[in-house]
Amino acid sequence: MATLIQRSDVGEFRKRYRWLRLFVVLAFLAMAVRLFILQVIEGDVHDAEARRNIIGETRLATTRGVIRDALGRVLASNRPAYDVHIVPSQVDLEETWPRIAAVLKVDADKEKELLERIRGIALKGGPRADQSTLLAVDVSRDVVAMLETHRSDFRGVRVSPAAVRSYPYGELGAHMLGYMREVDAEILAEQPDAGYRAGDRLGAVGVEHRWESYLRGQRGFQRFISKKARREHVEELQKRYLGGDHLEDPTPGRDISLTLDVDLMRSASEAMRGHLAGAVVVVDVRTGRLLAALSKPSFDANAVSGGSGKDAVREAFTRYYADPLKPTLDRTISAAYPPGSTYKPFSALSGLESGLLDPFGRVDCRGGYEYGKRYFRCTGVHRNVNLHDAIVQSCNTYFYELGSRIQIDALAEVGTRFGFGAATGIGVNPEARGRMPTRAWYTRRYKGAFRGGFTLLAAIGQGATTVNVVQLALAYAALANGGTLYRPQVVRSIETADGTVVQDFPPRVRRLVDVEPRHLDRLLTGLAGVVADRDGTAHAERMEGVDLAGKTGTAQVSQIAPRGSDQAQVQYFHRDHAWFAGYSPVVSPEIAVVVLVEHGGGGGKNAVPVAMKVVADWQRLKAERLGRSSDRSSDRKEQR
Amino acid sequence: MARHTVSFRGGPHIDMWLLVVVVLIASIGVVNLYSATSAYVGASQRSVLADVYVTQIYWIVVGLLLAMLVAAIDYRHFERLAPILYVGGMLVLLLVFVLATDVRGSQRWLKLGSFTFQPSEFMKPLVVLMVARHIHGDHRTDARGLLDMVVPLTYAALPTAAVMLQPDLGTSLIYLLTTLSMLMITRIRATAMVWGLGLTTGAGYLLWEFGMREYQKNRIRSFLDPEADKADTAWHALQAQTAIGNGGVIGEGFMQGTQNQFGFLPDQHSDFPFAVFAEEFGFLGSLVLLILYCFLALWTIRIASQAKDRFGAAVAVGAGGVVFWQATFNLGMSMGLLPVVGVTLPLFSYGGSSLLTMLICLGLLMSVSMRN
Repeated sequence: MATLIQRSDVGEFRKRYRWLRLFVVLAFLAMAVRLFILQVIEGDVHDAEARRNIIGETRLATTRGVIRDALGRVLASNRPAYDVHIVPSQVDLEETWPRIAAVLKVDADKEKELLERIRGIALKGGPRADQSTLLAVDVSRDVVAMLETHRSDFRGVRVSPAAVRSYPYGELGAHMLGYMREVDAEILAEQPDAGYRAGDRLGAVGVEHRWESYLRGQRGFQRFISKKARREHVEELQKRYLGGDHLEDPTPGRDISLTLDVDLMRSASEAMRGHLAGAVVVVDVRTGRLLAALSKPSFDANAVSGGSGKDAVREAFTRYYADPLKPTLDRTISAAYPPGSTYKPFSALSGLESGLLDPFGRVDCRGGYEYGKRYFRCTGVHRNVNLHDAIVQSCNTYFYELGSRIQIDALAEVGTRFGFGAATGIGVNPEARGRMPTRAWYTRRYKGAFRGGFTLLAAIGQGATTVNVVQLALAYAALANGGTLYRPQVVRSIETADGTVVQDFPPRVRRLVDVEPRHLDRLLTGLAGVVADRDGTAHAERMEGVDLAGKTGTAQVSQIAPRGSDQAQVQYFHRDHAWFAGYSPVVSPEIAVVVLVEHGGGGGKNAVPVAMKVVADWQRLKAERLGRSSDRSSDRKEQR
Repeated sequence: MARHTVSFRGGPHIDMWLLVVVVLIASIGVVNLYSATSAYVGASQRSVLADVYVTQIYWIVVGLLLAMLVAAIDYRHFERLAPILYVGGMLVLLLVFVLATDVRGSQRWLKLGSFTFQPSEFMKPLVVLMVARHIHGDHRTDARGLLDMVVPLTYAALPTAAVMLQPDLGTSLIYLLTTLSMLMITRIRATAMVWGLGLTTGAGYLLWEFGMREYQKNRIRSFLDPEADKADTAWHALQAQTAIGNGGVIGEGFMQGTQNQFGFLPDQHSDFPFAVFAEEFGFLGSLVLLILYCFLALWTIRIASQAKDRFGAAVAVGAGGVVFWQATFNLGMSMGLLPVVGVTLPLFSYGGSSLLTMLICLGLLMSVSMRN
């Protein structure tokens, strides 16, 4: 030991040890605090997380409610379909994959793309690799049979049932019914409590969207202990962690009955054959219920609802959005048009009420009206016309003369009373409110002084005046029923899957329009004359046995074409809208009908035949149904 | 506090406190290992791990014998032997690059007959001896500057460079931090500390830019933002925290931790044994273990303060430093306080090399303690 150097000067270190001790104590104190946070304060959170790790949950699918028409015919239901999933970590990409691709008949490019994706997930590992990845949707029964019978050859492949929404009538009424779409990230993020999971489908527009919460039903679940648990532990773990609440049955969605009548819808669709675009609305004047609501062109709800896969949906929408006629636009409610002459009865009413219009007073129509420095054209030379003649022959000069004397606000006031310029409250699809221009509106819109010419145009339903088709139908219904303005109704009742009515929706009155019966009578006589009188604008197109009154309209559209647009298209889009608005029967009316043929030209020639055919069919259907009304209840059962 | 010492051949005394705490931690470790690896019983993968707790007991016995041997030798002999041992250790460490067995992408292991061992582990006490030797010889009264620390830091930097190439971030950190801890007991100028801090930051930046492998960077990134990438790197750390939190106040009970039993803890026998323990025994059990480690660390400082020469004091601080830093890093990473760097929990984790190294360190401590 003598060789060891003895240097016992340890005094230098003395003061240092306390710092080391302090450091050690602080370090362990920090750990103790962290432990306290993890185990005591956040204990429950981590406990729940650990439970989620070991408890698996199978979701039990629910069935979406069925949508039926007024007579119980199925408009939207669910069709069983099969999706193919793959578990990346389990599938043999060398052996099994080519066979899967062959069975599913995916083309070479798509196959390569899918293979890359699956390989990527499998290589990355983690929990994602053990989860099912969607491979193909709505595969054919042959594929299902193939995969199921040779299940052992297709390790890692799963076939799972999934309901696809089906619309038996395809394009018919697609705007009102709506379609299904996949839930987007926004909804998942913003409404975590709504219960949607990625990949779920929800109603996109129309009734499917508006009544989503009723239709969708509630998913059930089954919880189980993870397969990673050793078998001998499962029972004990189940007792410990699952308790009694590991199974909840799904609740099916509610069924919905609409007020629409498929037969009448089909009739309207057939009547519109030959026209590119437009809308037909038939409404019960005694209830405000929509019997038919057709918007043309339409779209195929089946194609966009995802049954045949995302690519098909994308392709369909690409086509629809490229179409200048905008097939996805609901022309019955989501678009506003100048009403043209169909507005004249309301102008006349404004005149009568304000006392500015003498129903027997005559105006000499020489084909136009001079006002200020402008000349306002009429549709023809009508000579000496009174109110009745002016409505029957649709004389503009008569109404220009009224317009020159009446205040524009008086016109707007009556229009507003009949529901124009405001939302109808239909509750399905976004509403284009239309516009009842007032002096204030014009002052705001055009910085210059208000010009009297605006009133002249407003009196014939042109200028800034716009309405939507449903508004016009309900307003004519109010004329026909003596002044009750109903709220348009599409949904009749909500039922459980076994047919028990859960909620029934009675008609709702929007407003009782204060209108003098003698004024109204005068207008209705005029409207009857439009069809019945020899010189009526709809007379030429009348049909034998069709009991109809109403007003034609030919609405001019603004003639500003975007630069560089196709010449043929420009020509089409500059044509007038053809209108007919009326009711049937003439005496004690039951329905109001509005037909709009977009860019159809003259109302009398183009819109009236459509209305005639629809009303003819309505009369026929009514007669048929009266004959067998006694067994309607049994019919309804058969349809389920 | 009176020291409980037992007479030993009339001369040196056995440090009973040290012995008892070490044996206690090791015993709890074995019991915990039994639970940790029970998940592998009958499993399709890694079933060889199912009874490593038996192997661990063998290693503890061997390690204790080794520690007794080390303790029996007067530590002052090591002062002389230090350079030879250090150079030998370095050579074996470099041998890894020639003969290494690849374990999950890093070359750390050497095969010796049927045993594999990790030279980088055994290098830890050798670095301690070498630095202690320097401190012993450097006995002046004025405070030290930065340049005075170049030599001892080089002793740590050489093996650090070697293991960084393997690559093994955890072991590198232990070399450096232990050396720094030892230097801390000498007087250092305040300016040197500031400079040191600045240079460390700079070196850290350079290391990040040029020295670290992508997976090491990812571990640090995931530590800074664990929620960002749940599926990959941070998954391990988060699951360990979930396990610890799942323990609650009193724990799930022995062999009842679901995070462990269901295989949500990665490397629960070597890297995350504390998570297993904390899940089963809760806050109260974990606190007991924490106190044991804390006591061990404080006790080594006490041994250092009672050492009769500079070498003994430095060796005690160094050996204690290895235990302290490994415990802190392992516990810290389990709890999510520190990034996952893959160091073992002293006496607790499974692994012969790690266990023997720890027990050698404790043998050194015992040696110093017996000759105060």
